[in-house]
Amino acid sequence: MRDVLFWLSGAALAFFITAGAFLLLANLATVPSEKSLAPDPASGGSGAAVELELDAERLAALRPLPDQSLDLRVKNEGATRLLDVNVVLTVSSENTALPNTRFYRRTVEKVAAGGATGVHFEFDLSDAEQPAAGRPASEPARKILEIRATTPEGVSTVRTVILPP
Amino acid sequence: MPSSARPARLFAVLTFVVLTIAPARCFHTDEEGSIAPLAPAAGRVDPGLGPGTRALSSGPGYKGSPSWSPGGGRIAFTVDGYVMDKPTESGGLRRWTTRDFVARDTEWTSDDTLTMLGAAPASPSREETRRSLYRAHTGGDSLKLEKIARGVLAMSPGPDGDGLIFAFDRGAYESGLALTRGSAEVYKIYPKPIEGRVASLSLSPSGDEAVVAVRPEGDPETSELRTFDLRTGEGKEVTRLDGKREILGTPQWTKQGLFFVAGKQSTPVDEDGSEPLYDLYRVPEGGDAPEPAPGVGEDFVAASISVSPDGSRLAVIGRLNPKSPTNLYVLEPATKSLEAVTANEDMEIKTGPDDLMWSPDGKSVAIVARGTPSTEPEVRADPVDRLLRDFYNLYEIPVSGDTPQ
Repeated sequence: MRDVLFWLSGAALAFFITAGAFLLLANLATVPSEKSLAPDPASGGSGAAVELELDAERLAALRPLPDQSLDLRVKNEGATRLLDVNVVLTVSSENTALPNTRFYRRTVEKVAAGGATGVHFEFDLSDAEQPAAGRPASEPARKILEIRATTPEGVSTVRTVILPP
Repeated sequence: MPSSARPARLFAVLTFVVLTIAPARCFHTDEEGSIAPLAPAAGRVDPGLGPGTRALSSGPGYKGSPSWSPGGGRIAFTVDGYVMDKPTESGGLRRWTTRDFVARDTEWTSDDTLTMLGAAPASPSREETRRSLYRAHTGGDSLKLEKIARGVLAMSPGPDGDGLIFAFDRGAYESGLALTRGSAEVYKIYPKPIEGRVASLSLSPSGDEAVVAVRPEGDPETSELRTFDLRTGEGKEVTRLDGKREILGTPQWTKQGLFFVAGKQSTPVDEDGSEPLYDLYRVPEGGDAPEPAPGVGEDFVAASISVSPDGSRLAVIGRLNPKSPTNLYVLEPATKSLEAVTANEDMEIKTGPDDLMWSPDGKSVAIVARGTPSTEPEVRADPVDRLLRDFYNLYEIPVSGDTPQ
């Protein structure tokens, strides 16, 4: 009986020591390198639990034409579910004299904690208006996509994509 | 060992093993092929131009013609043909012109007066509209533009940012000169015309004389350099460039004489396929024969120049040789020393004659540059109006080790 109690005590002690060690390690653990590229709060990323994920191949496939489409993912890196995340895609030109900025909006009803939801946009990347003759501008002017995801609580994140001409 | 104790020991050992071997946790990276954005830049940046560089603008738009206010608190510039200005520290951007005006150049003529040179947008079927000079007083609530003159060929700020001198078309292939002081409503027109068409001009450090680059009538293959004494209203020829050579940009007047950039007239490519190369020349005080500017080296390719407020130094955008990257240099004519003040890695620095300007205190130079555009989509973690390298933007470059505050 004494032996059993001795071994049980030892097992319990080992358990608590090990659990304590793992808890300590969990507090000291650093974020994986890919997450360290998240924008710092001061710049507009706002330490957000919401993040945007874009696909390189999809972006490379875009052309300065109507009827373009883009799939992206809204990620929830927080511990609580996100509801009604507003995602706005703004299409503009590097030539700020061109007034043809276009806006597209989608609402993501919910994103589970630690999960991600896909969002699909269809939009026009063509030039609605030609640049005025004689006005200095970068030639050729590149197209710019600005994608902003915002929660009703005001937490937001933004990605800007500069497309080659 | 008693047989009854074995199961107990075995149980304890198994308990120990289970509790001390934590479940393995797999850390794996996502493999979606997504593009991780670059970390945003903020504050004093080093966009590849060297330490101490400070961005004066941000966001998209083809920017140019930086102009410091005389007090140094604001900077004006053109963006896609519009005139904008903003505080040199933090603060909002103001736009001064509308779609029916294309600005080519803008200058402060006092701390609350901005002058702009431009014209209506040219239509494909007509020649370029004649350029006019407009003035805006920034101190009031209304951003109203006032037309000063028509047919303006070139303009240059006065000493210490006080006033402006400009050349205008008098017809019959003659040019006239006019001078304003501060925010004065009237300006003085010099009665004696300059024969030929003024391409550019600037004032001497004292403000008493002007140097002009002129295209003589009926001779498109020649450029002339002339001075004009504003006290007597008389001008004289300094030098004449024949053989299809032209003066590029605006000649500058330093304490050690006149400097100008010249070379073969602009063609898309030279006969051998290379781009035209321009040299920096100097006309010594009291002399009339230009010589290659001492201190820059014979292989130096010059683009644009600007004299410091005190007339003792010359900012030069150029290359040490045709294969070098473009950088900003400061030439001290008195000592014939040339110092590189940028350490350009992969930036495209604009080389237009109005795309660099000294700060009023002579401690820095504003230039316009952008990073080399990529052939692939680029993703950034900032709003578009805060991006720097991706578009042409204004940068303040400290000179001689002074870091702007």
